[in-house]
Amino acid sequence: MIKPSNIEIDREKGNFHYPTSKYAFDAGIGLSEDVVKYISDVKKEDDWILDFRLKAHSIFEKKPMPTHWATKDLENIDFDVIRYYLAQGQKPSRTWEEVPDDIKNTFERLGIPEQERKFLAGVEAQFDSEAAYSHMKEDLEKQGVIFVGPTEGLRDHPEIFKKWFGKVIPSSDNKFSALNSAVFSGGSFIYVPPGVKLAQPLQAYFRINAENFGQFERTLIIADEGAEITYMEGCTAPKFETSTLHSAVVELVALKGAKIQYITVQNWSNNVYNLVTKRAMADEEAEVRWIDCNIGSRLTMKYPGVVLKGRKARGEVLSIALANDGQHQDTGAKMVHAANETSSNVIAKSVSIGEGRSSYRGLVQIPGHLKHCRNNTECDALLINSESQTDTYPAITIKGDDNSVQHEASVSKVSEEQIFYMQQRGLNEAEAMSLYVNGFVNDLIREFPMEYSVELKRLIDLEMEGSVG
Amino acid sequence: MVSTPSHSKHMDSQFLTPDFFESFSAKRSWEPGWLADFRKDSWDKFLSLPVKKNKDERWRFSPRARLGFSNFDQLAESPKPSILNGQKIDGILFDTLDQTILNAPSNLLDLPNMQGPNLGADDTFLLGCCFSESGVFLKSEKGIIEKKPFKHCHFAPKNNQSLFQTNIISLEPFSELTIIEIFESEDMDTGGTLSNLSHVKLAEGAKLNRILIQKVNQLSTFNHLESIQLGRNSEFTNISLQLGGAQSRSESKGVIAGEGASFNNFSLSLGNGEQLFDQRTVQHHISPHGKSNLLYKNALLDESKSIFSGLIKVDPIAQNTDAYQTNRNLLLSANAEADSLPGLEILANEVKCSHGATTSKIDNQELFYLLSRGIHRNVAEKLIVLGFFDEIIREAGTQENIELLRDEISHHFN
Repeated sequence: MIKPSNIEIDREKGNFHYPTSKYAFDAGIGLSEDVVKYISDVKKEDDWILDFRLKAHSIFEKKPMPTHWATKDLENIDFDVIRYYLAQGQKPSRTWEEVPDDIKNTFERLGIPEQERKFLAGVEAQFDSEAAYSHMKEDLEKQGVIFVGPTEGLRDHPEIFKKWFGKVIPSSDNKFSALNSAVFSGGSFIYVPPGVKLAQPLQAYFRINAENFGQFERTLIIADEGAEITYMEGCTAPKFETSTLHSAVVELVALKGAKIQYITVQNWSNNVYNLVTKRAMADEEAEVRWIDCNIGSRLTMKYPGVVLKGRKARGEVLSIALANDGQHQDTGAKMVHAANETSSNVIAKSVSIGEGRSSYRGLVQIPGHLKHCRNNTECDALLINSESQTDTYPAITIKGDDNSVQHEASVSKVSEEQIFYMQQRGLNEAEAMSLYVNGFVNDLIREFPMEYSVELKRLIDLEMEGSVG
Repeated sequence: MVSTPSHSKHMDSQFLTPDFFESFSAKRSWEPGWLADFRKDSWDKFLSLPVKKNKDERWRFSPRARLGFSNFDQLAESPKPSILNGQKIDGILFDTLDQTILNAPSNLLDLPNMQGPNLGADDTFLLGCCFSESGVFLKSEKGIIEKKPFKHCHFAPKNNQSLFQTNIISLEPFSELTIIEIFESEDMDTGGTLSNLSHVKLAEGAKLNRILIQKVNQLSTFNHLESIQLGRNSEFTNISLQLGGAQSRSESKGVIAGEGASFNNFSLSLGNGEQLFDQRTVQHHISPHGKSNLLYKNALLDESKSIFSGLIKVDPIAQNTDAYQTNRNLLLSANAEADSLPGLEILANEVKCSHGATTSKIDNQELFYLLSRGIHRNVAEKLIVLGFFDEIIREAGTQENIELLRDEISHHFN
């Protein structure tokens, strides 16, 4: 799928192949208007959605690759050999026996619950959550929460979702948001009614009989006035993808006084291009928090943003990136202040291991007519090996005499003294290194839900293996 | 990349007609052949520059229309000559560029190989290589140490004319010098464009202190492109005070080329009216054990605007590097704007690198304190700005230099 590159990295890891010819719903390879029409047709969508897709497709064709600032590696994506749609129920499946031992091992070491393993390994198309979560589902319905896929959302609840769909992130935002808008399928559409505060986080795999993860998933979450929701996507277990391009669009809408917390933990196999557009709109006194952990992939480009549209809105991005051999984590945050007394906070930590490269790219904008706006940005990078690389490229535009921003970034390596100290106490070098890295990201990991943070720590241990000595 | 052989993109500026270069080189036919070749070569490179792309990261946030060479109208016909002020000392050559070409051209043989900072203003750099008519040459022999500063003063031309100049400063091993560079305008009623290319080269253990004061009038444009090569254990300390110019673009690149070199780059800008300060910097470490420290402070009044874009680049070989980069902006009016693009590209792991950028307003309590003691608002603001700038001013070394900088800043406020 991807043109050969000269970097000697095992990109076949986790690159499972399945014969796809036998499936009834197959849009073929490559992208054309017909493919877009076909997808829309299979989904029995209304005309306005088809128009939306076609328009996005023409924008995609016109937009150049953003290589004037982003990595040239993007040029290695060959859009003509990608399969843009495989229908639900036609997804490839495999048996548990076919899952390689090292993956089973990873599950074991991460402590993934037995029930979830088969789903994560792709043995079962759906996570059998009926038993575990049916109570929760009932509860949600009682409260009036809508939790569906994009097809159902736009078909059954257009009065709620149509208003915001494609508004926070217009198709023309960038080349990959246009691509997603043209061929999206899968994802979650959520509506939380006014004043409803969800006690439990929602996760995509709670949903039954729907497409969960997709190559081009589309998520729209609307928290009505005073509502509160935490949403979790992904998991620490490695995801084994048949596709090498993943391009999602996630839009969040927090109306007056609402709170949204969106947690992502992703661990892609290292042949995947993960090019995701995520943005939130925060109304008066609303609060949006992106908590983002990126591990794996060949190239991740992801800059969650918050448009602070109402007075006293607050936006936050907490991000952890781990780049190992052959991986480039190009992540960051965008904070667009558009109302008085808005505040934003960005804390990004990255770890580069081996020949890994991590980049922080940020944007902070405060126009001059605003008063009392504040931003704080902190980026810390840790370099493990001498071939590791890190970059920081923030862009800050501030006008007016009543706003303040601060940006701080630092790069450091593991302190030899501390490693020595730990070795003295009987840890071997690798263990000491793991402990050090865990300590480096610890204050962010604490923000994750408990079971995630436990898994994350174990995952870091795994990633650190073989990086020293 | 598309390159165009046509001259159409340059034609809007009347001074850049195709035969313009011929008449210029005829005027300077007295120069040695290699220099004429260098000028011609630069002119050809300029003509074959790729068409301006819409989005060039090196020009991010910059209102390019205010800075491009399309604003160059014609070359200054009889520019006011630079004034040089320094005592004659054995082992130090200090002269105008023209005199050096005439009397000691062998010192300049390396000129065609000298690189610019290459931070965006390719056109200005090539035109500078092609049309430089003034500038200074300063060279000190091995081991010469001179405390008394060498001063030179240059003038931005009048009547919308353009002047290009090249300064070359070269210190042989273990010599130490101080240099004060001043940029002014020929007259106060009309403006022009002064484009200055500086090449600084420090050999092993050399030390250079440089103070740069830019106070061209507010009808003028100032371009300053400098690249600094630091040899083993050498030390360069720069303090730039940017006060003038309707718009200015400064590109400064320091290459830590020798082990253990130390590069301090400090800049102060004070903007009012609609002044624009476009600042691009690079600290490039290509040798181990180097140190670099950059601090750019901008105080902005009225509708002035600053753009700071900095990059610390550490090559894989440059282990044990300490590199810092800080940009602090003080906004004194609701319509002032500060853009910050601090950047890091770190390819070595045994490093200490950090950058910071802050933008804020005057502390109301500080202001209130001064106002309540009967100090007029303007004066209070001036005092606060002087305080904001003080940590850099103090780096100027002698009391005399410190006073010089303070006076210039106070004067600008009045």
